[in-house]
Amino acid sequence: MTKAVDVAGHVGRWTINQLAVGARVSVLMVETFAWMIVAPLRGKGLRVKAAVEAFVEFGVRSLPIVGMICFLVGVIIALQSSYTLDKWGANRFIATLVAVSALREMAPLMTAILITGRSGSAITAEIGTMKVGEEIDALEVMGLNPIKYLVVPKFMAMVLAVPCVTVVAMFIMIFGGFFASVLVVGVDPAIYIDMTTDSLVEKDLVTGLVKSVFFGVAICWVGVYRGLQVEGGAEGVGRQTTSSVVTSIFLIIIVDLVFTVLFYFI
Amino acid sequence: MVTDESIIAVEDLVVRYGDRTVLDGITFNVRQGEVFVILGGSGSGKTTLLRNLVGLMRPASGRILIKGDDFTAMSEDERIELRKKMGMSFQSSALLESLSLADNVALPLREHTALEESTIDIMTKIKLELVGLGGFEDYLPSELSGGMKKRAGIARAMAMDPEFIFYDEPSAGLDPIVAAGIDGLIRKLQETFKITSVVVTHEMESVKLIADTVCMLKGGEIVGIGTLDELESSQHPYIQQFFARQPDDEGSSESAYARALTGIE
Repeated sequence: MTKAVDVAGHVGRWTINQLAVGARVSVLMVETFAWMIVAPLRGKGLRVKAAVEAFVEFGVRSLPIVGMICFLVGVIIALQSSYTLDKWGANRFIATLVAVSALREMAPLMTAILITGRSGSAITAEIGTMKVGEEIDALEVMGLNPIKYLVVPKFMAMVLAVPCVTVVAMFIMIFGGFFASVLVVGVDPAIYIDMTTDSLVEKDLVTGLVKSVFFGVAICWVGVYRGLQVEGGAEGVGRQTTSSVVTSIFLIIIVDLVFTVLFYFI
Repeated sequence: MVTDESIIAVEDLVVRYGDRTVLDGITFNVRQGEVFVILGGSGSGKTTLLRNLVGLMRPASGRILIKGDDFTAMSEDERIELRKKMGMSFQSSALLESLSLADNVALPLREHTALEESTIDIMTKIKLELVGLGGFEDYLPSELSGGMKKRAGIARAMAMDPEFIFYDEPSAGLDPIVAAGIDGLIRKLQETFKITSVVVTHEMESVKLIADTVCMLKGGEIVGIGTLDELESSQHPYIQQFFARQPDDEGSSESAYARALTGIE
């Protein structure tokens, strides 16, 4: 009897906690949109310069690592598909496989995961440290809304940076596949290029880009939310930063799944 | 210089963390132009009181009237307007670590005014000069000592030429000479610019130097309020103990310690 009550109590508490998290995230979302869209229309300004700086940090500076990883993933996909396709003498279909999986799946996913590790964690650590150091309180007392000052520029930058980097990643991944197929497997370069252009349709690009916008939303909001949740000192910052990356990657996979199912049927 | 006009009035303020009442029925007035010191030991609720005064926390009940307007019941826009007239010096100074000292001080000016950048530059220099940090414009907060950070925090609080400044433990963690310097600065700003100052502290030495009015808190309630002389002559046992720097009664604290360890009443 007591055990059943205990279990019920745990489930109840867990549910209440999750609802509270949901409520706090919703407030954060509403405030972000209010300060991003409504406030500028009422003449309260938008910190465009800070957004541009954040875009450079999240997007441009992540290009080298995203580029390198995506090139290697392109090589890997090409060699792995050759393993099966070679048995059927169908090595030229490597091009199709690489192109479709890069655009629809691998480039958006790899980009999002790398930007989470690089910038999602940085957002949490920055906002968390500012909270511990009373900097967030200081902004508020100065009459500067922390959402406007800190969150909105990061949000705009992230939602733009992830799709932009994703497009670059798509091309580099296809090039990685091309590189491996031509040099290692021995596919004719002209055939490879033909197969690639034939296999791609506009919908593949749209699928990848729509996903990547939502990946950007998830990375930024999880980063900010976890940062604002920091309590205590350096240990709190560390714990929330870890949690930020884990939650973000989990959400990215869920968003990916939802869109993949959605695009499968339409 | 200190007028009798009340500029901040706190009426029956009650603050709770969950079920725990942290501040209970706090009522006092701060007169225009005075240095009002909120004095109390650790856990007396003095920092919580200050956080309520600047609107970082909302009370469970009661009112905080600043120049006659209820701060607790304002719209967001009205609060921002009022905050332009307030400055706050934080215990950890709370300078934005990513900005230079000049940019820290200039931040409220850049965000709230339409002043030319050259004007902001001059104003920033004046504020830093005022707190004795002339020539440190390009330093980052991490390159400064604790006392210098405190001064820079005060310069930032002064940026918008405020009517009130709130200080959270201004001399905590500083050596006596630097702490005395900060006390002198608080007094100077109040005397030169007629700024009403509310100071939270537990340092008796500071209180002696700066206070016009002292409000003594214990366990979330006011145990005494008046000039320093009035409080020194108070018969309240806690005030006498605090001023005489006496520890709690040894015997009772030992038995309380034993009870806490064993859980036996």
